[in-house]
Amino acid sequence: MTVLGRLDRWRDQGALTPEQHALLDGLVRGNPCSVFLHLNFLLYAGVLAFVGGLGWTAEAYSQQLGDLVVVAGLTLLLAACLGYCFAKAPPYSGAETPSPNLVLDYVLYLGSLTWSAELTYLEKRFHLLSGQWDLYLLATALFFFALAYRFDNRFVLSLALSTLAGWFGVTIAQTTGYGEASYRQFAILYSLVVGVAGIALQSWGIKRHFLGTYLNIAANVLMMALLSGVFTREGYLLWLLLLVLACGASLWYGVTQRQFSFVAYAALYGYAGVSAILIRNLHDASALLTYFVVTGVTMVVVLVVLARRFGREP
Amino acid sequence: MRAYAASDEETLRVRRYLNDWAGEGLLSDARYQAMEQEAECGLRRTNGFLRLVLFVFTMISASAAAWLFFVTFFQGQLAGNSREQGIFLLVIAALVYAGAEVCVSGARLYRHGIEEALAVLSVLFLCAGLLGVLGRDFTSQGSSASLVPAAGAIVSFWIYRRFGFLYAFVAAMIFVAFLPQYGTASHTGQRLILAIIYTAGLATVALVRTAHRFDYLDEEYSLVEALLWLGLYLTFNLRLSSLSLLADLGNQPSASTAESAGAFYWTTYALIWCLPAVLLWRALRMKDRWLLGLGMVIALLTLITNKAYLRWPIHPWDPMFLGVLLAGVAIVVRRWLAKGPSGVRGGFTARRLSGRDKEWMSNLSSVSSVVSPGPAAGPAEPSFGGGSSGGGGASSNF
Repeated sequence: MTVLGRLDRWRDQGALTPEQHALLDGLVRGNPCSVFLHLNFLLYAGVLAFVGGLGWTAEAYSQQLGDLVVVAGLTLLLAACLGYCFAKAPPYSGAETPSPNLVLDYVLYLGSLTWSAELTYLEKRFHLLSGQWDLYLLATALFFFALAYRFDNRFVLSLALSTLAGWFGVTIAQTTGYGEASYRQFAILYSLVVGVAGIALQSWGIKRHFLGTYLNIAANVLMMALLSGVFTREGYLLWLLLLVLACGASLWYGVTQRQFSFVAYAALYGYAGVSAILIRNLHDASALLTYFVVTGVTMVVVLVVLARRFGREP
Repeated sequence: MRAYAASDEETLRVRRYLNDWAGEGLLSDARYQAMEQEAECGLRRTNGFLRLVLFVFTMISASAAAWLFFVTFFQGQLAGNSREQGIFLLVIAALVYAGAEVCVSGARLYRHGIEEALAVLSVLFLCAGLLGVLGRDFTSQGSSASLVPAAGAIVSFWIYRRFGFLYAFVAAMIFVAFLPQYGTASHTGQRLILAIIYTAGLATVALVRTAHRFDYLDEEYSLVEALLWLGLYLTFNLRLSSLSLLADLGNQPSASTAESAGAFYWTTYALIWCLPAVLLWRALRMKDRWLLGLGMVIALLTLITNKAYLRWPIHPWDPMFLGVLLAGVAIVVRRWLAKGPSGVRGGFTARRLSGRDKEWMSNLSSVSSVVSPGPAAGPAEPSFGGGSSGGGGASSNF
């Protein structure tokens, strides 16, 4: 029986009121048809295209237009975006705050990207901080965090987190120089900072719904960093131990909170790390293939059991 | 033909709707529980992440098992004999496909990753096996060489029809795209043949889906139709499919520009404007969200490639105008819809009506930092963090 048939039956049985039936029947028939996603796509693509063109134009015509015109234009745009957001947004709340209209989120996103463009332009042209890029990135990250929390905007939160990662990266280059070990340590530190900050903010009741964004980024960066340690020539057992612990924590969180992306991270990163150690000295093709058959089947069985107990799709 | 009973798939669709409505607060918990019990389904499903992981591990174990079998029993005898190796792979392809069938008919798996990996492997082994069997024939431009993409297309299409995996349909379309080169050396001829095949597919889907407007196949056929429209568009958009767009953006005339200056070139130019218009008209008439989305995407692609097509100079401010146009259209449409009674006009609304839209938005925000314009390129660009993925979001062109 189709959905429409069932809806009719539930109405006849009294399980649905006629009003409910009319609403749900309309939704199934696509009446009205929502273009919510389509409009969001247009706005998002529009902002990206606009900022891309803005940066390109500023670069190509900075000599002809003059620095004053470029900086004034970018500042005006930034001020207009922020002015619009502060004028239209509801007051701050620690709880999830839906956007009052479709446009506000994208105006804020445009403002954030314009801020980045302007800062980059100023530094490239005037070297205000004598190449201290880490300060720009840190200030930008903090600014983005403030905007993301004030306006409850996940787009800007993602920008803030990736800018913070950029700050960590530049800081490494300035303090310890390029090096895999340095990057690994800072990646671990970054993931711990992000993870702890996300959990702390959630426990304080500040934008609890942002926790998933924090933890997904923290888990991936942490496990990638630990996995890279497993592939080193020396001291890899310690990295493996840490990776197994991280995977265990991810698995536990995923199962208890029914966040199955974390189960997937645990399975994939854990398998890659353990396999890297076990097959390190395995040079016989048959033994290598046997390993993949046995462990692959074992993983499938374990995951099927896990899926049947916890991960069934409703 | 279908491995799953229509009633089962219809029930799954009912459950998806119930879940969505309950999540949106359109049904009370008690009502939802009662209705859900009426919509029990015997198929074994799992969530998307576990499905992906199961797919990966099934691919690893099944391909390793096939290779191990070969190494253990045949390596000595078949070394250097590609024909017999090919036959071995064809047998493996059949066995793996049988495994997928058993998973579905015996274990009642539905979008579970395992049966999907086995079905995908069967196509891969089939193509590798045919390559082995054909051996040297494959390198020649003979009719036997077309056997690999032809078989790949047929089996992929069969897997789509049998299990409903849409990516198998995509694979079939890609295999089909390789076929015309065996019929003619002319690039124009190849594109025309491909366009005819995709158009025939479109006509078939358009005919078939009218009978399934409100059942579980409606969304699937909508996606299939969208894929065929996309294939048709990519076939005709010479700037996209010749991969010369990046060179054009750098204002360097590409080799294909000189080659394609004839009537066919300008016909395709007309078509890349007509196809989005026709598709958008059809999508609005049918209130088909997938077709509408694709119509917007290909209209955007037409705008992006327009100047390259006309060989007009591309200016740095062009993306700004495009951005203003896109955002302007979105704002005008939203306002126009919002002014209708209850925010509805012509059967369309700008309001979010489904929890699935919320998931899409959540996913979009998650990947937004990856696709936003490049970061502020500092003096010492690290490989971790800022890199080319997000960061401050400013253009690295400065």
